[in-house]
Amino acid sequence: MLDSRNRDSVKRQLIEALGSQSVLWAKADLLPYSKDTYRASFEDENKYMPDFVVLPETTAHVQSVVRIASEHRVPMIPKGGGSNRTGMLVPITGGIVIDTIRMNRVLEVDVANLHVTVQPGITLKELDEHLAAHNLWLTQEQGSYKVATIGGAISTSGFSRRHQKYGTIADRVMSLEVVLANGSVLRTGQKVLYTSTGYRLHQLFIGAEGTLGVITEATLRVEPLPEARDVVLGFFKDFWAANDAAQKVMASGVMFTGGEAYEGHNIQALGAPEGMKGLFYVMLDGIKGEVEADAVFIERMMRESGGTIAEHETAVAFLSGYTIQWCGARALTGFEDVLTSYVPMERIREFYDTLWNDIAPRYGIEPLPGEKYSLDVGRYRMSGGRYRLPKGEDAWQRYQGVLREIAELTTSLGGSIQGCHGVGIEHRDNLDLEFSQVALETMRMIKSTFDPDNLMNPGKKIPDRR
Amino acid sequence: MESKYTEMLNIAEQCGLCRCGCCKDQCPMFSEILEESISPKGRNALIRAVMKGEIDPDERAVRIAFSCLLCKRDESSCSAKLNNSEATELFREYLLSRGVKPLPEHESLLKSLENYGNPWLESKSARRRWAKELNRRSVIPGKTETLFYVGCTYALDRSLQESPKALARLMDSAGEDYGLLLDDELCCGSTAKRIGQIGVFDDLRRENERRIRSTGVKRVVTACAGCYKTLSQDYPGLSEDVEILHSTDLIWKMVSKGALKFRQFPVVVTYHDPCHLGRHSEIYDAPRLILKSVPGLKLVEMANNRELSRCCGGGAGVKTAYPEISQRAAVRRIREAEKTSATILVTTCPFCVQTLRSAANSVGSKLEILELSVLLGRALEAGRDE
Repeated sequence: MLDSRNRDSVKRQLIEALGSQSVLWAKADLLPYSKDTYRASFEDENKYMPDFVVLPETTAHVQSVVRIASEHRVPMIPKGGGSNRTGMLVPITGGIVIDTIRMNRVLEVDVANLHVTVQPGITLKELDEHLAAHNLWLTQEQGSYKVATIGGAISTSGFSRRHQKYGTIADRVMSLEVVLANGSVLRTGQKVLYTSTGYRLHQLFIGAEGTLGVITEATLRVEPLPEARDVVLGFFKDFWAANDAAQKVMASGVMFTGGEAYEGHNIQALGAPEGMKGLFYVMLDGIKGEVEADAVFIERMMRESGGTIAEHETAVAFLSGYTIQWCGARALTGFEDVLTSYVPMERIREFYDTLWNDIAPRYGIEPLPGEKYSLDVGRYRMSGGRYRLPKGEDAWQRYQGVLREIAELTTSLGGSIQGCHGVGIEHRDNLDLEFSQVALETMRMIKSTFDPDNLMNPGKKIPDRR
Repeated sequence: MESKYTEMLNIAEQCGLCRCGCCKDQCPMFSEILEESISPKGRNALIRAVMKGEIDPDERAVRIAFSCLLCKRDESSCSAKLNNSEATELFREYLLSRGVKPLPEHESLLKSLENYGNPWLESKSARRRWAKELNRRSVIPGKTETLFYVGCTYALDRSLQESPKALARLMDSAGEDYGLLLDDELCCGSTAKRIGQIGVFDDLRRENERRIRSTGVKRVVTACAGCYKTLSQDYPGLSEDVEILHSTDLIWKMVSKGALKFRQFPVVVTYHDPCHLGRHSEIYDAPRLILKSVPGLKLVEMANNRELSRCCGGGAGVKTAYPEISQRAAVRRIREAEKTSATILVTTCPFCVQTLRSAANSVGSKLEILELSVLLGRALEAGRDE
């Protein structure tokens, strides 16, 4: 936290640069910036508070803030929609939260070249609504779709449930404008998708969690809205049967948009035959004839794997309801956490068996009903699930133990600790399980090149040297 | 702690476990101001901090508490399915009960309620002004079955007095007997309750209930969405004994039994769901069925309709305290209506008519804003002179 003399000076300068309507300092205003959706230790909610929140509207505003912060050596935490799950936005060292939600303009829609240029604070949903008027869409449908911003999705390298056909935001970034820690404005390159000139600087900011600079503009690849859409839904004996079908569909080469296999809670309400617990759905987008043919092909594969195909109306209604929930019932609403471990396909059973039969009982965690197994089907090998957090006296320590053991398990199987939520503070000290010391040192070198005074979201993402 | 405040804290704490922020996607105040504190998530954080003694309810905290339209629009998006509007309304009440001063912008309406029994600084006798062209139909105790409870805003805002007149004519046309309280009508207390003035509200409620009960009517009909919400949900004693109807329900009954027949009226309209009638009372179908019963009338929906209808910006004391933000929310709704092919926006709440009409005028919109009864009055008369 700033001392009172510095604080007054910083406040005066911020107000001079942005105006008093764009600088917050009253505690009542700062409260919602004390935490993101990280499952922090629960008793002291407002342990960490920022000194200020600023609400810039332009790149020049961001430059001014960064220069003021750098002059006074004040940490900065760039913020988007605020729904991060790993503590990336928690102001553990105080400082200035740079909230980009007023930087929400669409700057250019280039229909001919299929790209859009936006400020970082527009939400994924708002951008898709804007693009729909041009018969385009971004395709980035992550769980926080309604509130996540473009800047936030890039900074966490967010997942998209449409990834199999369209990739994720990581594949969509063509060029970025970033305000660096010294206040200069970096344009990472031309608005081109493919080039063989220069370093691919924009890639450094994908998943950087605001540790390298503040993204102030992004040019993103977009797609024409598909002519046809459909969904195929199959029921299976259990998750493993659904998973077998999913792997066969994957191996067949059929191009689907995305899909999920899971062991659901009361899937009989969807028309699943008695005794069936597994569910696998596949989303299809494309030209009408292509979608129809692919649906028939996938239904056949599901049947051959022992699946029962849901009525078409049921499948459509299921996906519609599921989509409404996409940023709803799926959010964490209690003392629970979610798994988003990237596990290689052939190691999934080993992963879940160890997790639920060995780790869970030792730490006192248990899966939520219908949330024991879930797999995003496609190249994004994300193994999901939800569990109740440990209870009792040393709950927090045991929770940290769970996170460490899951990280050890995932990396020992050749996977990644986090598929889509970033590192933040939740996984920071487990990163040595996934990266060698050389890799971590390289990251530290990159960080110090961009941010020599360690003012950009310090204490996040990269572990301290041991 | 009183149980209602325990419930308030419970809502805020459940939000604190989740903090997803999905509410922001639907919150009209957040979309105008774009600050985290001006959202259900932000207010719930404030409630938790105040109730735990981590923060004093200073001036800024009070401003945040009163920066909510209580429109409930966020609740369709809320992951934890929380009644955030209720928590905020109770929080206002709690703050005032702890000695926090009302917003200065609300003082004149509170004085008006105290002195005149309405929030519009109009004399008590002004209430009967709208009815002077009608046969003065005072309710006859023991005989009149239906009380037409007009409400302060329809009765006292001259630009809105066409609405009660039109509803009276519709009831006359359908042969529906009704009576009026005229000078004896008193504010339902909706505004007082929404801004946390529970003492003022309770006084109005008790007196209103006494006056209504003394007439011996079996039902109360009102064309005001705010009065309807308040009488049907915040007067538990009265609403158990007396049927409370919104005019849309009554008109639909009259239309369904063939007592009201409209003439050919070829217009394109869009319908704006008032928060108090829609999300608070779940009356979505009746106004649409009525509109569709008018021959030649075409109803086109706005992108956000029914449960997702955008608030006009006029509710819960926001228009008085933050007129500029209220206006921005209203203009946003007008722009949405303009995107339909409608030439008329129809609604069923005097505050919505006031707020949307003012916004339409301010941006030079050609959209006409009409209360439902007024539109139906035109449909009743259409082509008569031809």
